[in-house]
Amino acid sequence: MHSSDIGKALTVFALLSMNSPVLLGQSTEYIAPRTEYGHPNLNGVWQALNTANYDLQGHEARPAMALLPIPPSSASPGTDRATPGALPAEELRALGAVGGVPAGQGVVVGNEIPYQPWAAARQIENAENWLMRDPEIKCFLPGVPRATYMPYPFQIIQGASQILIAYEFAGATRTIHMEDVGSSPSPTWMGWSVGSWEGDTLVVDVTGFNGQTWFDRSGNFHSEALHVVERYTPISPDHLMYEATIEDANVFTEPWQIRMPLYRRIEPDKQLLEYECVEFVEQLMYGELGLNNPATGQQNE
Amino acid sequence: MGQRQTSLLVMIWAAFFTMTMLGGFVSAQNVMIEEPISNWETPRTPWGDPDIGGIWRYEATIPLERPDHLQNRAFLTDEEVAAITLVEEELAMARLSGLDGVDVGKATLEESPIRYNEYNSFWQDHGRPRQVYRQTSLILDPSDGKLPYTDDAREAARRSTERYGVGPYESYLDPDTGERCLTDGAAIMMWQGPNGGHNRIVQSPGYVTIVHEEYQDRRIIPVDGQPHHGVKQWLGDSVGRWENDVLIVETNNFLDKTNYEWANIWSRASDTLRLIERFERVGPQSIEYTLTVEDPKTFTRPWTAVIPILKLPDSTHIFEYACHEGNYALSNMLSAGRVEATKN
Repeated sequence: MHSSDIGKALTVFALLSMNSPVLLGQSTEYIAPRTEYGHPNLNGVWQALNTANYDLQGHEARPAMALLPIPPSSASPGTDRATPGALPAEELRALGAVGGVPAGQGVVVGNEIPYQPWAAARQIENAENWLMRDPEIKCFLPGVPRATYMPYPFQIIQGASQILIAYEFAGATRTIHMEDVGSSPSPTWMGWSVGSWEGDTLVVDVTGFNGQTWFDRSGNFHSEALHVVERYTPISPDHLMYEATIEDANVFTEPWQIRMPLYRRIEPDKQLLEYECVEFVEQLMYGELGLNNPATGQQNE
Repeated sequence: MGQRQTSLLVMIWAAFFTMTMLGGFVSAQNVMIEEPISNWETPRTPWGDPDIGGIWRYEATIPLERPDHLQNRAFLTDEEVAAITLVEEELAMARLSGLDGVDVGKATLEESPIRYNEYNSFWQDHGRPRQVYRQTSLILDPSDGKLPYTDDAREAARRSTERYGVGPYESYLDPDTGERCLTDGAAIMMWQGPNGGHNRIVQSPGYVTIVHEEYQDRRIIPVDGQPHHGVKQWLGDSVGRWENDVLIVETNNFLDKTNYEWANIWSRASDTLRLIERFERVGPQSIEYTLTVEDPKTFTRPWTAVIPILKLPDSTHIFEYACHEGNYALSNMLSAGRVEATKN
């Protein structure tokens, strides 16, 4: 990477931290190299490096995603014996520090998600029931934009007339249609994606969702009315700026935005591998449903 | 490898022409590949690779193995071709008119792409008759058109057929890998998939990516000289190269999943499995796909199938196949299994 590119990337980051209303990809003068067919070349294996999959919003560190309720205390601090703080739920306690949640500054522009009142209550309820409700735990297709910032790489496969985005998690693949294909014939987990170029930015308009995916492990959610507009803008040879505008009139009072850099996995010969997690969740989902339990080798009660 | 395939094809052609002369066959549409087009030139991607992009599907009636009653016969007669063609047309009509399941298939077509066609037929509806070829098996080597199973694998295949749809289903390990929404295996990906056999091939500089609708099986194959990554996977570790406009893909490093139930023993993942595939665009609508499977755990020798793959219109879509997300059948089978057990 040229030092001038780094400088531009830093400028972009500075703008990011100020929550500039200017779309960041457009504020840089970086000109991406072209493919043989004329568009900016987005090919490569990319990954987000942030804590958005834990919580899109700014959050402090804590010992686990699922915690025991903290018992109320009426005593004035210091006048009685010490009381416990946040403790991991029993199911997660054996994980120790591995099960902890790293702090994060958040990726939501302005940090507020404009929920309607009922939906704000639902998000809290979702978070409280994270182990039961998060589709990630069941290896379900992660939806958009969540697939982008899960802690797994993804590959952009940019052909002359087709673009695929292949995610490592659950082997999800999206076709980005670069021509008019009408609307989705059916609700889907990963949405129905139609792409276009705005200058150096790949803009992907995503509709046709079902209401079953989440945005993060904190229970941030949407309905079937979700409409996501993603923007992938090269800001250096090894960085894309990713922005997603999220609109869902059933759940939010107005559209809102997330924004984060994506990093190229620059290891030589980096390839996207399989994460076939269906096999990893069968015992959780089905182990106790059958006559026999594979984990114990015994009959279920 | 390439040499041997060529010679197999030459044999087929030679056999066809011999039979044409002897038997007076009239049509060229029943040979393995599209009628040769004069001056056919493989189209190119903007960066110069042969272009095999698009939506592709195997839609012919040729079974993988030669049926027993056609022993020693590489080709069907005119009468047999006419009879199968009629059945295919009737099936297509029946499906288009809304008949379903056994009403469509079971009584009329023993060589249904899934056994006895007992599934809802919309899964397999091609919307048109399948292509009928004279060839009696996709397997050309060995020459008897049969899978060269080891004794153990033959027994496993017999058991798999016997328990299909019957069970017992006492835990999630009893359904086959497909019913568990995992995969039916890399060897079927390009040409099978009764519930979604379409493949989208997208090429980008240095890669050929194949997305299979069923189970969302996906292979991102480097063709720029990258080495094998060495990590074992369900669909193995593929490396490709272009040789004279033919894509050759070698795949090894499969996980050993022979402990699981497989719908087809011949497509199971095993750590001794090795695939060699050959993709040759032989016409605007055709890829001749040659699959060679080696696995001493399952076969006494390598076997090779030559499979005509059809290009579908560019407007064809690969849809989302959210199998695991909606796998209510699995929990239903397990609860039914418990009810069965209490009855006994």
